Amino acid sequence: MVRIDFNRLRFLVIDDNAHMRRILRTLLHGFGTRDVYEAEDGAGGLEAFTHYMPDIVLTDWVMPIFDGLELTQMIRQPGANANPYVPIIMVTGHSEKKRVVSARDGGITEFLTKPISAKALYERIVNVVANPRPFIKTKTYFGPDRRRNVNPNYAGPERRKGGKADVIRQQPLLDKAKVLS
Amino acid sequence: MAARKDDTPSVATYADHEVITPPHRLRMAVVPGAADGEDPIARAEAALAELATEFPNWMEAECERLEAARKQVRRDGFSDKTHDSLFRAAHDIKGEAATFGYPTVGAVAESLCRLLEHTPDITRIPMALVDQHVDAARAIVRETGQADLGAVVAALTRRLREVTDEFLRDENSERPDYLESIFAPALAAGSGGV
Repeated sequence: MVRIDFNRLRFLVIDDNAHMRRILRTLLHGFGTRDVYEAEDGAGGLEAFTHYMPDIVLTDWVMPIFDGLELTQMIRQPGANANPYVPIIMVTGHSEKKRVVSARDGGITEFLTKPISAKALYERIVNVVANPRPFIKTKTYFGPDRRRNVNPNYAGPERRKGGKADVIRQQPLLDKAKVLS
Repeated sequence: MAARKDDTPSVATYADHEVITPPHRLRMAVVPGAADGEDPIARAEAALAELATEFPNWMEAECERLEAARKQVRRDGFSDKTHDSLFRAAHDIKGEAATFGYPTVGAVAESLCRLLEHTPDITRIPMALVDQHVDAARAIVRETGQADLGAVVAALTRRLREVTDEFLRDENSERPDYLESIFAPALAAGSGGV
């Protein structure tokens, strides 16, 4: 069992809705975090990320200028900034399966569907802090390992060539996307 | 300054991919052992409860924004700009309303989001159906607290969703794959594997 010293974590919250930023800030302060930076669109978020170098990014999806998925892809450019491995939790009103898959393929670390709860947010944060996943780099993808478990019933070909990578077992993103609190 | 050993990612290279294990920079925040003292989730919920006195005003403000976006569509018709404004207003309400204590308003906003997002030709979005959604959301907020409205609100919300889904089925009849995707369970259980 672990607990998290939130006082040692710095967060960047990116959401174009001031009410949602206030809610997230309130929850993070409630967990014990002191340092919460905010930005109200993707461009401001990227600038704040570069400037503050937060430990964890919480971003909305639908935002002006560029959206949360585009922001994620910019952060996940290897060599483009000091920490392309930063945990990114997408906090969004989108709940369709295809959206979750798009977000995963865009390099997000965790997915949290609005309306949010303190418990669901806490669980996402604990997971990215205590159970970090390795990153996979291919010609078309750079981001957290999308294989969260081994499917013993999978009968298709091994798509990663040259040997099997280690798999860190975690609950699938789609199952976690909505936590009933 | 030379990089510390634990600042360097370890990289395992395979034929068509690399497995990179970044330094565990957040390890410093992990404290072994059981929690001592107050539950952080309970503390956060209490902080949110203190904020709740603001929620009715915030919900009103979001409804005003939705109304303004509706007026813009009425005045200028559906364009990328007016469609985007209306969608953003509805989408924000979809995500926030339940937190603010208005879950049925969230359901109405979700139905409006579906209408706006999944109609292939935005100029064919029926304004009457948009009006019904916006008016319903505003009425529910206005009448919240009135007794005996639960059944009416539930029926209204359900009917709006039914009419929207019926319209979307017609509009997307030539796109069976898309239709299937928008009527799939919102969060199907499945593997997160590639």
